[in-house]
Amino acid sequence: MSTARYIKNEKDQILDVILESGIHIKPVYTPKDLEEIGFSYEEDLNDPGKYPFTRGIHPLGYRSRAWTTRQYTGFGTPKETNERFKFMISHGQTGLNVAFDLPTQMGYDSDDPMAEGEVGRVGMAVDTIRDFEIAFEGIQLDRIGVGLTINAVASIILAMFQATAEKYGYDPKTISATPQNDILKEMIGRGAWIFPVEHAVRLIGDIIEYSMKVMPKTNPVSVCGYHIRESGATPAQEIAYAFLIAFAYIDNVRERGYDPDDFVGGFTFNFNVFGNIWEQVAKFRAARKLWAKLLRERYGVKKERNLFLRGIFGGGGYGLTKAQPENNIVRGAYYALVAALSGAQTTALCSYDEAYTIPTPHSALISLRTLQILMDEMGLRDTVDPLAGSYFIETLTKQMEEKILEEMEKIEKYGGIVKAVSEGYIQRMLARQAYEIERGIERGELLKVGVNIYVEGEPKEVELHEYNEESARLQIESLREIKRTRSQSKVKKALNELERATREGKNVMPYLLDCCKAYCTLGEMTNVFREIFGEFEEPSLF
Amino acid sequence: MAFPDPKELAERIISGDEKVASKVISMLENGEDIAFEVISEIYPGTGGAFRIGVTGPPGAGKSTIIDRIATFYGRGGKKIGVIAIDPTSIKSKGAFFGDRLRLKNAEKIDGIFIRSMAHRGFSGGISKAALGAECVLEALGKEIIIVESVGVGQTELSISFISDIVITVLTPDFGDEIQLMKAGLLDIGDVIVMNKMDLMNAEDKVKDVEGYLKSIRREQPLPVIRTIARTGEGIERLFEVIEECRGKKKEGGREKLRSLIFALAKEELSHEIERIMERDSRIDELLQRVEKRKIDPYSMARSVVQLLLEDGKMEEERWRRRE
Amino acid sequence: MEEKRIKVLIAKPGLDGHDRGAKVIALALKEAGMEVIYSGLHKTVDQIVNMAIQEDVDVIGLSIMSGAHIPITKKLMEKLKDMGIQDKKVFVGGVIPSKDIPKLKEMGVEGVFPGGTPIEEAIAAIKASVKK
Repeated sequence: MSTARYIKNEKDQILDVILESGIHIKPVYTPKDLEEIGFSYEEDLNDPGKYPFTRGIHPLGYRSRAWTTRQYTGFGTPKETNERFKFMISHGQTGLNVAFDLPTQMGYDSDDPMAEGEVGRVGMAVDTIRDFEIAFEGIQLDRIGVGLTINAVASIILAMFQATAEKYGYDPKTISATPQNDILKEMIGRGAWIFPVEHAVRLIGDIIEYSMKVMPKTNPVSVCGYHIRESGATPAQEIAYAFLIAFAYIDNVRERGYDPDDFVGGFTFNFNVFGNIWEQVAKFRAARKLWAKLLRERYGVKKERNLFLRGIFGGGGYGLTKAQPENNIVRGAYYALVAALSGAQTTALCSYDEAYTIPTPHSALISLRTLQILMDEMGLRDTVDPLAGSYFIETLTKQMEEKILEEMEKIEKYGGIVKAVSEGYIQRMLARQAYEIERGIERGELLKVGVNIYVEGEPKEVELHEYNEESARLQIESLREIKRTRSQSKVKKALNELERATREGKNVMPYLLDCCKAYCTLGEMTNVFREIFGEFEEPSLF
Repeated sequence: MAFPDPKELAERIISGDEKVASKVISMLENGEDIAFEVISEIYPGTGGAFRIGVTGPPGAGKSTIIDRIATFYGRGGKKIGVIAIDPTSIKSKGAFFGDRLRLKNAEKIDGIFIRSMAHRGFSGGISKAALGAECVLEALGKEIIIVESVGVGQTELSISFISDIVITVLTPDFGDEIQLMKAGLLDIGDVIVMNKMDLMNAEDKVKDVEGYLKSIRREQPLPVIRTIARTGEGIERLFEVIEECRGKKKEGGREKLRSLIFALAKEELSHEIERIMERDSRIDELLQRVEKRKIDPYSMARSVVQLLLEDGKMEEERWRRRE
Repeated sequence: MEEKRIKVLIAKPGLDGHDRGAKVIALALKEAGMEVIYSGLHKTVDQIVNMAIQEDVDVIGLSIMSGAHIPITKKLMEKLKDMGIQDKKVFVGGVIPSKDIPKLKEMGVEGVFPGGTPIEEAIAAIKASVKK
């Protein structure tokens, strides 16, 4: 929701603008401002595709290729999800981003008592490889990149995906999956964690190591500033914490003896787009530059391609309102503009009814069209980084760079991101910030159309996507059938091997692959980990 | 519960009714007379439970240590009660009870009863309700009762009156010796734990504390127990020490009791004085006279006490007439 | 006699991990002078009811962002009845479509706070419910 803070006089004239990240915006910017910040085209920007990549990671940007649109999709049974996949692809979507239901995210089978009422609700239910076989039936896995929004059990899901692809005759070297696989952000702001931090990070390292060798087209990690931003972080904190989290994962793999140059190129990011338009664009440009510089300085990464900040810039969830929901369609358009001006490779938008529930096909389509109109009609493909050289934008980009580094330093001073997250330091700070934002909105200090200005009567009823109880029942039945017909001895053997390997500190992926092929369930595999690792202890709020 | 009978409430608690027990603890917090009558009923049956007090500055790791102690006893089949006292914000008078969240493993123990209580900023207020809560938990059948208290101010003194053993938890980042001394934290702990031994200069801090303990105590103080509660390091030793204490006969009970009664009586008295200062019409008159320099503050204070004693005599009369 | 405080349990039932709303309301209620307990994530209805009993709260606030409010609330209200603690007031907040509000109220829920409800409104409703 958050906007800049405006200091106005009685005549509604703006006296000062304070961005969330703390930067003040002046009424006018001139060449003098560039002088003051010591702006240098070669040092600060350089051409797109050239270090430090502030202007973009490809020399031709959207002229060579429009962005990939990847609307978050998935609900109910794998069959329903498969149908929605095909629907979106037929309407021009070029990548998939799979949503899983909560039991799956939390490592529970659909027939587990903990799963009651949740099977297939916020995403697709997955219990065994059979579900993936159905979901990806008829999808060309060597052409369409598949994002898997899964974290705590990402290792299991990725193994299942590989097993499925192999079953359909694809060579693992040709498939491109992006498991989100970012546990630290779960602890900060999404809540779908299971295991304690060190073990969870080990699993992430296992995935990175494994995919380097077996599925090189896979992006093993999508570090999410997105949810951190949704939890109340400022844009500068969003980038700062995401980078520190990425470094924590890099460190884990480096300690196994690998050179970051060998794997960091597979890292992607997931960043949010709501907020003040200028702050957002400056944020992304500063982020691209910093990522490249920090990788070089901290890790000695040499290959230029590995310095690219790749990712999905999109969403905007917290920016949407329940009041006057059609306004969210408009917000979506502006957020898409932010993403385009920022040179996003991949993007997606929250649908206008997402404050209520899973998007209807209608609303999901509107989001898609919004993105297509920008690219194909409005000229956002015409040139790369159009705002470059603006006295304002370049000054702001430099200032954002400084803010991001400041925020990183604060956490390093505390003792590092892993410590800060384990002890709840960041969570507490963000809860406080979130609280202050709500207060700011209620006091009218932070403006929000439809909420505290231009407020109108009763909210209009929105057409909702209904939860299908029947889907849950079918899923559970199908699971029971599989449990009856599979080879119990194969299952037992595979799980035992998994347990042994996990305890011995081996890379768990090959063992998970065997488990999936034997039709072990997600819950069974997760329980092996639960036994050995234990559970994450949530830190206190206060 | 209209006109509940204290005897009945006491019986329900003894029979294991958690709802009633919880309600009675609330009534104690609110200072309702009937709650104290219930305590009167159940007190004779108490005395067997082992009460562990845990104190220390915020962030020291008290909850984590309590989680481990509770789990230790829970595994041994003991019935456990935990009272977690969190500070009340002076400004808003609200309180946030965060301890429960940190007792992640303890929560899973069969039959554990965890209750958060607000330390409402009244001196001695802590002893009053907490003591009663302990009795209620014991009547419920809890054999081990752990009380966690806020680590600043005078409440530490009261925690020692209601515990059989007090564990003071410190960390190396607490500050220097002077601060420790000022806080009075080291004076009341039976067992001092230096947690977060993985922090810098931990060993030096331990030496500081041991040095201080030697200088203030006449008998040989217990060595500081070094722990990293997060990982469990050093905790075994803590369990040993606690178990040793539990095995011993409770000594020094009379002195503790005397101090407890003193604190409770002071609390009663200060309530009465508050009452008089607020309601009695003579007070304003007296205040005026002090302002006009007709009498000095010391004398006025003595007069207030006199009023209280006179009032007390009137109360006594009314009581006698009631009987 | 000491002032009666309102004691509230803010609970996150089920598997949903979005806790921004729950944390914001918890802080707000504390600032408003109430005694607040936050349950933490992934709690079962049984665990929540157990906490409500032991802490003798006046109000239980469920925060549900996953859309599973109907089955979860139903389960909670039944359990409250089983344990004989229906005198505790229940509020439900989160991602709640308007059409579900009457259903929840029928179950015995005191008030519903769909996303976007101003904090002050929630605080006032909770205070009013306890006075009854």
